[in-house]
Amino acid sequence: MRTRNTNGLGLLWLFALLSLAIPSAEGAEKIGAEEVMKRAYLAEYYPGDDMKAKVLMRLVSGDGKERIREMTMLRKDLQEGGEQRYFIYFHRPPDVREMTFMVWKYPRRNADRWLFIPALKLVRRIAADDKRSSFVGSDFSYEDISGRGVEEDVHQLVREERLDGREVYVVESRPREARGTEFSRKLSWIDKTTFLPLKEEYYDTRGDLYKVFSADELKEIQGFWTITRRTMKNVQTGHRTEATFQEVRYNLKLSDTLFTERYLRAPPAEAVR
Amino acid sequence: MRRVALLKLWTPILLGGFVVPSHVQGFSLHGFVEVAGGLRVVEDSTQPKDLVLGEGRVQLEVSQEWKAGPRLFLKTDFLGDVADEAVTVDLREGYVDYSPLPNLDLRVGRQIITWGTGDFLFINDVFPKDYISFFIGRQPQYLKLASDALKASLFVGAVSVDLVAIPFFTADTVLTGERLSFYDGLTNQIVGKDASIVLTKPARTPANTEWALRLLRQFGSYEVALYGFKGFFHSPLGVRDSPRRELFYPELAVYGGSVRGPVLEGIAYLELGYYDSLEDRAGGNPFVENSSMKYLVGYERQAWSDFTLGLQYFVEQMLHFDRFTTSQPPGAPSRDEFRHLLTLRLTQLLRYQTVELSLFVFFSPSDQDYYLRPTVAYKITDQLTGVLGANLFGGAKQSTAFGQLEANDNVYLRLTYGF
Repeated sequence: MRTRNTNGLGLLWLFALLSLAIPSAEGAEKIGAEEVMKRAYLAEYYPGDDMKAKVLMRLVSGDGKERIREMTMLRKDLQEGGEQRYFIYFHRPPDVREMTFMVWKYPRRNADRWLFIPALKLVRRIAADDKRSSFVGSDFSYEDISGRGVEEDVHQLVREERLDGREVYVVESRPREARGTEFSRKLSWIDKTTFLPLKEEYYDTRGDLYKVFSADELKEIQGFWTITRRTMKNVQTGHRTEATFQEVRYNLKLSDTLFTERYLRAPPAEAVR
Repeated sequence: MRRVALLKLWTPILLGGFVVPSHVQGFSLHGFVEVAGGLRVVEDSTQPKDLVLGEGRVQLEVSQEWKAGPRLFLKTDFLGDVADEAVTVDLREGYVDYSPLPNLDLRVGRQIITWGTGDFLFINDVFPKDYISFFIGRQPQYLKLASDALKASLFVGAVSVDLVAIPFFTADTVLTGERLSFYDGLTNQIVGKDASIVLTKPARTPANTEWALRLLRQFGSYEVALYGFKGFFHSPLGVRDSPRRELFYPELAVYGGSVRGPVLEGIAYLELGYYDSLEDRAGGNPFVENSSMKYLVGYERQAWSDFTLGLQYFVEQMLHFDRFTTSQPPGAPSRDEFRHLLTLRLTQLLRYQTVELSLFVFFSPSDQDYYLRPTVAYKITDQLTGVLGANLFGGAKQSTAFGQLEANDNVYLRLTYGF
């Protein structure tokens, strides 16, 4: 008995030494849940200094009815992990065509949002709340599009496992402030190599699963790993939204002046085509 | 008349657009087809028809852009109107955009100009409006009328300067008795189809060119704007010849400002304007609208998921009110020095934002009148939208803005296919 115990301990020591000496699979080191989520936030929302993409969203209802949202999205980071500017120009459907949407995003406070309605030549300020508003009627919330601050949740590393052949961290996040947040708990499967979320599960205030995110296609573009196809599915209603990012370009040196009322009213052709 | 004449001018360009194949770079053709019908729901003895809205409309939007060059934009409505028994072609917008300098944008032609902060309430947005379209249930875009103008926008650092010259006057579309009955200040009664009012527009002379200016600057999350205008009232607020029933558009200057930005998880705005009635600065002329001060404060916020609430408080203060009261002929309807107006907007989106329930309420505690605009909109598909709505008016007196419209309550349905 005694000898066996000693052997067991010895084996543990051996493993510990080995794991220190030899990096584990995919080269990931031991990091905390908070750090995983910080890196995931930067990987998903801040790659490059700026970005342009054509986004196609398919909104599919439980009974198979399909709606399309097509837009050009521009993003510029003022600081890595900090303030950002977004510019979204809608191509489809007809009732929102040529509408432009501008967001000035700040860490730790509500974003400023403007909408230009071309038929009235009207610039409106939008009072919508990021956390609970659906983006253009899709299953994605505003927060899903422009990111939720890492510090808004308490994170815990649940386990490490393989998902579709990739090594992942599974992190559980709970909002620090329940008020105004749709989910009570979120599980994220964060890829150890790219730090992109491969899957997310959102649980509602009753603790039931209601939304599932999946990264369906990853591509390396100009050295940045990018989710080029993603789905958000509401498992309670059966409604889902598939978003495809096409013609993704990084580091275009977008000018700050692009994100002003001037271009909200008259978006330059080269920026939105 | 003017619209028809201009249409002739534009037709070759418009038709030229159609023969250009759609794959030509920078060319686009879009628009919608719409049928709309609206019925009066209360008896109105002054109107022969119960139909207030009955039309088929095709709107075509043609745009041609040249790489790093100008852009041409034309928006034309082809309208078959059962209520008016007329077929009309209306060039809604037709302009060219050009940027001769990196910080200068020019827009020349027929264009809709909008600025200011109010929601269906306008102080510094003095540009022409079509109130009839608003009251009978056409799309909200028809509230705004285009101006034939040159607009220059200059961007200097954080400040943008918009200067507009409007050489050709466009009037508001106001109540003249066609379709809707209204209170006739000349005879102090409600009149309708046979109101026969003569509207005399300002002469088309270079000196009558209207000018408008806006300076806009953003301070953090707050937008601050200053406005100026010199031209005419766009509603006929002057009486030239009472027996002939001739109204005119008195000269007007407006000076104002606004600020808008986030307050308490919502958006708040404040706007004010001084309306200087240039043909009656002393306020003693009973035939010309007095000068006034207009104040607006508004607040909008999301109360819960896909539900927004908007509140506005608007005050119009007549200046030289004592001279107004002493100069009024006997029997003229009384007016208050202060007109208070409250508005409420409730919007709930449902079913992945394909259903929109909305209610807009105007209520004036001083005039004791109201105007309700309930609508239900359903996006049947991405292309096809149906809207069911109503315009409901009422008031204690016949002479107030909404009280006069009491007999015009209507319910309408619109079906729009966009492409």
